[in-house]
Amino acid sequence: MTKRLLDALRWLVFAAAAFAMNFPVISTFVTSLKGEAEISASPSLWIQRPTFDNYRAIFAMQDRFDILHFLGNSLVASLLGSVFAILLAFPAAYGMVRNEVGRKWLLPLVVNLRAVPLIIFAIPIYLMYQNLALLDTRLGLALILCLVNVPLALVLFATAIAELPLEIEEAARVDGADTRRLLIHVVAPMSLNIIAATTVLAFIYSWNEFLFGLMLTTSRATPVSVGASFFFAASGGGVRWGVAAAVMILATLPPLLLGLTMYRWIGRSMTAGAVKG
Amino acid sequence: MGRIRHILAGFAALATLGLSQAWADVTVLGWPGGPEEAALRKAAEAYNAKAADADKVKLIFFNRDGFFDKLAADLAAGSKDFDVNLLATYAIGRYAPFMDPIALPATAKDVFGEKVLATMQYGGKQYGVPTDLSLHFMYYRKDLIDQLMADPAWKKRYEEISQKQMGKTLDPKSPDDWNWDDWMATALFFTKSINPDSPTRYGTVLQMKNLLFNMMVWHSTARSQGGDWMDASGKITVNSPAFRSALELYKKLYDAGASPKDSTTYEYAEANAAFGSGQAATMLQWNAAFGDLDNKDKTPAVAGKIGTAPPPAGSAGRFTHIHGLGLGLNKASEHKESALKFIDWLAGADAMEIYAKAGGSPALSDSLTAKMAADRPDLVKLGQYAGQYGFVMNGGTAAKALQVYELQAKEFTAYWSGAKSIDDALAETDKGMAELLKP
Amino acid sequence: MTVSNFKRSLRREGYALIAPLTLFLLALLGFPLVVDIVYSVSRVGFENIRRPELSGFGNYAKAIADREFWSAAWFSLRFGLLASLLEVSLGLALAIFLAPLLGKRSWLMAILMLPMMVAPALVGLMYRLILHEFVGVAPYYLDLWFGDSPAFFSNDNAFKTLVVVESLQWTPFALLILHSAYAAISLDVREAAALDGAGAWRRLVYIDLPIMAPAIAVTFFIRFIDSFRVFDNVYTLVGAGAGGATTSMSIYIYQAFFKAGDIGLAVAASMLLLGGSFVILFAVNWAGARAARA
Repeated sequence: MTKRLLDALRWLVFAAAAFAMNFPVISTFVTSLKGEAEISASPSLWIQRPTFDNYRAIFAMQDRFDILHFLGNSLVASLLGSVFAILLAFPAAYGMVRNEVGRKWLLPLVVNLRAVPLIIFAIPIYLMYQNLALLDTRLGLALILCLVNVPLALVLFATAIAELPLEIEEAARVDGADTRRLLIHVVAPMSLNIIAATTVLAFIYSWNEFLFGLMLTTSRATPVSVGASFFFAASGGGVRWGVAAAVMILATLPPLLLGLTMYRWIGRSMTAGAVKG
Repeated sequence: MGRIRHILAGFAALATLGLSQAWADVTVLGWPGGPEEAALRKAAEAYNAKAADADKVKLIFFNRDGFFDKLAADLAAGSKDFDVNLLATYAIGRYAPFMDPIALPATAKDVFGEKVLATMQYGGKQYGVPTDLSLHFMYYRKDLIDQLMADPAWKKRYEEISQKQMGKTLDPKSPDDWNWDDWMATALFFTKSINPDSPTRYGTVLQMKNLLFNMMVWHSTARSQGGDWMDASGKITVNSPAFRSALELYKKLYDAGASPKDSTTYEYAEANAAFGSGQAATMLQWNAAFGDLDNKDKTPAVAGKIGTAPPPAGSAGRFTHIHGLGLGLNKASEHKESALKFIDWLAGADAMEIYAKAGGSPALSDSLTAKMAADRPDLVKLGQYAGQYGFVMNGGTAAKALQVYELQAKEFTAYWSGAKSIDDALAETDKGMAELLKP
Repeated sequence: MTVSNFKRSLRREGYALIAPLTLFLLALLGFPLVVDIVYSVSRVGFENIRRPELSGFGNYAKAIADREFWSAAWFSLRFGLLASLLEVSLGLALAIFLAPLLGKRSWLMAILMLPMMVAPALVGLMYRLILHEFVGVAPYYLDLWFGDSPAFFSNDNAFKTLVVVESLQWTPFALLILHSAYAAISLDVREAAALDGAGAWRRLVYIDLPIMAPAIAVTFFIRFIDSFRVFDNVYTLVGAGAGGATTSMSIYIYQAFFKAGDIGLAVAASMLLLGGSFVILFAVNWAGARAARA
């Protein structure tokens, strides 16, 4: 087969794979731009009369379905969850690598945690939260999200710190820096890339979390991943598919945009996390 | 040190982003996402316009999925997050230990009637005001049925199909006179795979998702053949000919292709989408669907062409499952006086008029429904049917009633989808219910 | 400062560094684990949630005797194996075939990675719309091209539908990792193989694949674990399924807790699951260590 033909085939395969794998989002996006009447009349991928009515409708029904509230919850909980994870994992990673503590038990424990279905802990955490009045709070959700992200963060940071040149740290120590100053002023700046990538990855995973959002919130702290499903159970009469589709697009936009812009970093982190973990 | 304090303050600020705020008014937890929500909002608006500041109500809603479980967990934990909460006939037994009985104003009897008030009673006490009654209509396409009764070619085909598929020749009848055989014949007639001339793809749309609400829809079938959960002595009577034939009816229709292929994942929304797209000729469905289906903007294919009749009659008569949704008082509430003011107001004729006009479905006395017949013609039928055909299964308000529904949903959908034999399904259900309904 | 003193203070400092994380894990994992163990041997429901009554191993017996527990386990096992197999095979094929394309234009990778950025729960909801007979895109086109569309959620098809949904979303993960592994095969190795006159196919089978074997194994393992504990997309797409046909292990536990209110059973099932996970993990770690030594 000639090289040109082979290349063309590669492009074809790429397009097919990209389309098939991204199909749910593509189809939902198309549906979100169709009017309700058109959706039931012609379910094809071709939009006869594109309209933003569905998006307008979401904001018009804020008293029934407050999407800004759900988006806000997702934002706050995911931000807190990823920041907490970074703050806990970074010093711990440094301690494991440079001070050589916890290598034998903490790292394996945390890594194996990733393999355990977290629903096992969901029930006692539900009961614990009930007693601590953390149920249906953003803080409560953020703590769980932090827990979910800690394994990946720890592994990534440990790997990255191990590869940092010791000389710079030793030089700083000679200058009289204690560990706290070292971490904040020397190690962190050197690891900015990995910290940023990990934060973004953690944020995306947190934003997409569903099970804990379902179990631990009811209305005040519900994230948008759970809130979007209100729509299907909701609405007397037929489900308003167009508006439901618009809601789903809005709900998935932040991680999608983050993924598009930071794909290189995220890609590298996912790979490193998988291989080392 | 200063730096650390700054950092800690930053944390505190970040963390408070996460904590919830305190609410000061009477908080009412309602049933989300449907006409009940819209109606409750309108009613609350009207109430707040005239109420004192300390009595104003604020509405909150949970997710519909898992609603009752979350409510149970919250009530059992003595949650103060809401003062007034939703109550359903089939869940009163479960929640009664955590709610306060209430005494409705004397006029409530005139507004609702005794039978309807009874849907909110347990152990002889009133626990809530019945804001919505739910029962089932047989929805049908008026235009298609009219044609069926008038067109001789259609009539002939109808007779052929009923003879071939059911072994007896039937004639088309008005839905108000249907028995279950008539419904089956009509559904088969309007199924394209059986009758190529059918204008609709499917004769009916069955709701067979593994969901407790779908069991309630199906119960009308079982009861009208004489079925009940328990007999007077408390023995479980599910493994009976009545239940058996009712289950087989659904299975026959599904296997014959009279209901959409994915009916085993269908509940309220999907069934309405199917009927509303004009591709199903009949549908056994909750009364609340009428308002949205008859809406020209949302479902132009069927708006204006929908008829409603009570569920078909069986050997034991004509029945429809009824249950009430209402609002009752949380035992742990800290605003009981104000909350009761709202509940009492809600039980009055004016409040119910506002509630009904805004989309709610209360079952009211004839004089009241006559007043609103222009806006809500379906409410006339609602009140009538509730009185004439309504039933609650023996044990339907027990503490574990919901779990019984869940068990039935699991077992019966297994039979319908072909995963279990009817004997196994009934036997398992019988065993499970005996456990759950132990006195 | 003497060497041993220095070492000791280094350790102490190390403990201080890992303390916050450890305490956090203790609070959010350790304590719940203890609660889990206590509840699993108690009779407890929503009514006596704060005062469980110890009752021995009845819950464990109930879980083990429950047919649905085993069918849920079986569902999760089949689902995990099939989905991971599909994802790794497809990902491997794509990684190798598209390598020249992706190598030159790395932004193409971004498009292929997008499916992973969407919440699985949302993917489930999206497919609910896509596969709906009356308003969905898939039945529309299948009807158009083939005259009929399958019953996606019938008893026979529901499992396959779910596997396809899961695989389509997570093949990019396999693609990403295997692409890196493939690209990392050093140039020297490639040149040497080419010099030795090995054809493209032989190179692939005898050189590339063996070098990539660890990456393939790791990818399969990670995807298996994630698919085994699937909840989100199955739950939003079909729920427990007719007769519990699509109940995965996680859904089983969720149902036992929230729908049946049988907390003791739910927790006992969780503990059994935890035990099973540990056994598997231990086996894998041990196998991995052996392979590393070999």
